[in-house]
Amino acid sequence: MIDALHALALGLYLIAAAVLATSFAEARPVAPRTGLALLALGVGAHAAGLAAFIVLHRELPLSGLGPALSSQAFVIAVASLLAMVTRDARALGLVLTPLLAFVLGAAMASGLEPASEPLAFRGAWFAAHVLLATAGYACLAVAFAAGLLYLLQFRALKGKLFGRVFRYFPALEPLDRIGWLAVLLGLPALTIGLGLGWAWTLRYHQSLLATDPKVIWGLLTWGVFAAALLARTGPAREWRGALVSVVGFGVVVASYLALRLFLTAGRGFL
Amino acid sequence: MSVSVVGISHRSAPLEVRERFALPAGDASDVLAELLAAGCSEAVLLSTCNRTELYVRAPMDGTDAPRLGARALCARSRMSEEDAAAYLYTLNGTAAVRHLFRVVSSLDSMVVGEAQIQGQVKEAYGRAAGVQGESNAAGPILSRMFEMALHVGARVRQETRLAEGAASIPGAAVELAGKVFGALADRRVLVLGAGKMSTLTTRCLHEHGVRGITLASRSEERAREVGRRFGAEPVTFDRIAELLPRADLVVSATAAPHVVLTREMIEHAVGRGRHSPLVILDIALPRDVEPEVGSLANVFLYDLDDLSRVIAGTLERRRSELEGAEQIIEDGVREFRSWYRARRVVPVIRALRGHAESMRQRELERARRVLRNLSDEEFEAVDTLTRQLLNKVLHSPTTRLREAAAEGRAGEVADLACYLFSLEGEQDVSSDRSDRAGRETDNYAREARHRNGDGK
Repeated sequence: MIDALHALALGLYLIAAAVLATSFAEARPVAPRTGLALLALGVGAHAAGLAAFIVLHRELPLSGLGPALSSQAFVIAVASLLAMVTRDARALGLVLTPLLAFVLGAAMASGLEPASEPLAFRGAWFAAHVLLATAGYACLAVAFAAGLLYLLQFRALKGKLFGRVFRYFPALEPLDRIGWLAVLLGLPALTIGLGLGWAWTLRYHQSLLATDPKVIWGLLTWGVFAAALLARTGPAREWRGALVSVVGFGVVVASYLALRLFLTAGRGFL
Repeated sequence: MSVSVVGISHRSAPLEVRERFALPAGDASDVLAELLAAGCSEAVLLSTCNRTELYVRAPMDGTDAPRLGARALCARSRMSEEDAAAYLYTLNGTAAVRHLFRVVSSLDSMVVGEAQIQGQVKEAYGRAAGVQGESNAAGPILSRMFEMALHVGARVRQETRLAEGAASIPGAAVELAGKVFGALADRRVLVLGAGKMSTLTTRCLHEHGVRGITLASRSEERAREVGRRFGAEPVTFDRIAELLPRADLVVSATAAPHVVLTREMIEHAVGRGRHSPLVILDIALPRDVEPEVGSLANVFLYDLDDLSRVIAGTLERRRSELEGAEQIIEDGVREFRSWYRARRVVPVIRALRGHAESMRQRELERARRVLRNLSDEEFEAVDTLTRQLLNKVLHSPTTRLREAAAEGRAGEVADLACYLFSLEGEQDVSSDRSDRAGRETDNYAREARHRNGDGK
């Protein structure tokens, strides 16, 4: 049941991505509502899958790689839906739907079984830490999508390239607003999430190792958010903010892969 | 089909000829009334900057409605019919219907996909509808034709991409600015110059909800005049340097033979802590803005060539939509022809049902005299039974008559029906002289729905 619902969600995300990609390839002037509707249906199926997990395993899907990735994908999907609600912003789905389909696919490939972690890995504190951190990462994904579209549209407008990107992508200022809002919301969410994680670790483990991969990754991500904020001072702040969001997201993803590959500690962690 | 169109358009005549035939809206009722008095059954006048056309319908008494229309147009243009023959075109029957559908869908416009023609046709139809008081000059046939045309035009715009994108310099200017800022309503716009292109662009911006427009011109009077029309604040040219830093969008279309906006001026405008982008549309010839301005960070500079490329892209996309639009138009033409044919059998169907109902009433009266012991309720049941039986018996012939009409066999099948059912006086169904037929079609449809409800 859990796998089936997740597979349905994945299928809907992929179809949404295909619909949006097709409309872009056909040089339509705006992303179709169908894409948004399919994403919404996918979110519904995904929510049902996570609910089934909770009912079956009597715990939140926050520990274990598969469940944690699925939760992350779900939060990204919800954030995408909220970001794409206006007609102009639907084009964000071109970037976000493949991204969340990838994350959900990785979750399913890892297996949607809870990790057999010690009892201390459960509890409201832990749940709040993970949920807030997940929300922060989802906001970073939205900032990345908005930033990428902004940079491409900026290039088209500055270079007087009046092709598909010019016609299909939203205007610069709405994209900048979405990216800026994502950073404004994501940074405090991640800050509180990391703070809760730090406090929870000290409470249950009495120490916090600087080489712990989750510490490294969390701080690095926080640094990306801070850099995205600082980039918005001075001239051409919109363009700089978009660039930092895009590069920063890449750094976060690359560092996650590097940490997973090269550091063995904390494998139960996302 | 006795509808025709006679007229002149940008395809058949140069501007100096078209302007002689252009008729102001106030003259429409006189022209239409004259045509009706001269013998036309129905008439609608469409006069825009690119065409003047008369849609007419003749009764079946040999009246040459297109000739009457041509005569009316020539009389007002003060051009002889012989001279006008080189420019006037006449289309009859299905060709006239198709032409109107194409006109409304903007396929016959100078710029394919332009939006104004739909409203202009709607206004022309509305004027014709008010000419003769309760009955209208448009009549049942042209009314149906124009209503279907407007429906087809709306379908073309909704189901194809024919109306998308900018197809004019002002439109392309607004589209480019919109791609930087999104909504333009709250933007501050500085327009330089008060000539034709500036005025058109100012109007276009105003139509898109921009309210913060400042218009700078060397001629204060001209700036005031244009400003008054579109709510723009008129200023003198020497205030440009002061206004530039506050502007989000600059539209420059002066007649100056030299550069008006230098790189230094723009650098000063975008410096000093300004964070938002500046869009400059240089639609003057020769250019008003130094090209090097385009290399400044956060400044977007577009000239006439750039706007022309935007327009070219739009027109190319619209051309790719023509096939889809033509298909919708052909569907509309087929639907109109089916309706037109079906209406020709309405008098026969009415006569058939009337004849059958008369027979039923006579038999009911006879039965009432025999069945004296039946109560009122029981007799009402007998009435209902006979009515339902009659509806069921007549359903098939009625349906077959309408189907035959849609297939173009109205005449032969209607004649046969009249012969079989002894419907005297209804055999001349090929005649269009019944102007009641269109209204009868609508009344018949209402009655059919009522009967079907009773028949169940």
